[in-house]
Amino acid sequence: MNKILIIMEKRFLLPNRFKSVGWLILLISLSLWIYSVFIIKGEIPFLKTSTFSIISSEFLKETEYFAVIQTNLTYTLTGILFIIGGLFVAFSREKVEDEFISKLRLVSFQWSFLINHILLLFLFIFVYGMDFMNVLIYNMFTTLILFIIHFHYLMYKYKNIGYEK
Amino acid sequence: MKNNIKVQRAIKNITQEDLAKIISVTRQTINAMENNKYVPSTVLALKIAKYFGKNVEEIFELEDKD
Repeated sequence: MNKILIIMEKRFLLPNRFKSVGWLILLISLSLWIYSVFIIKGEIPFLKTSTFSIISSEFLKETEYFAVIQTNLTYTLTGILFIIGGLFVAFSREKVEDEFISKLRLVSFQWSFLINHILLLFLFIFVYGMDFMNVLIYNMFTTLILFIIHFHYLMYKYKNIGYEK
Repeated sequence: MKNNIKVQRAIKNITQEDLAKIISVTRQTINAMENNKYVPSTVLALKIAKYFGKNVEEIFELEDKD
């Protein structure tokens, strides 16, 4: 195959072992999310700390730039872990990463990008006010979620269609 | 494009899994090709033909719609 094409297909992928690490990080992030949103219904107290921020605007205060601020890192941590874990899972090579798997990967990227934006369009039209904030927050993660689900669904599907020994 | 990989496999009495291992692809790839869901690259087609000791045309064949 053309050298440039091979580089394009393999360049952005991590070794296979990153995948299980990614799942673990995703699991930690998910536990944090469930714990803070559904169990204690708020931020985890001991994660309140001072941190460096580029821009920070608190309610009824002036916007601060490049300052060390006091804040709670629960959602920061949950989001960071989700993105890192999700990227590890999405961008790790399979045990055997052949041309068909590369194709499934690209098809899944295309699919998740499209579905994500159709979903966003729909929510843009029908959700207003503070609830739209929630749409924006969850939409940060939907491309990754949709990709991971669709790619693994395709892997499963092609393992099983018309399979006989 | 259609192919007779399944037939060739039966003649050699080899599973999808073993064939996949021999030509270093996934079982998904073999399965997708056998079910006409995937047209392999020229490299892969040549590898398969080489393994079965045939010409590519004896395994892969153009269809009218191609």
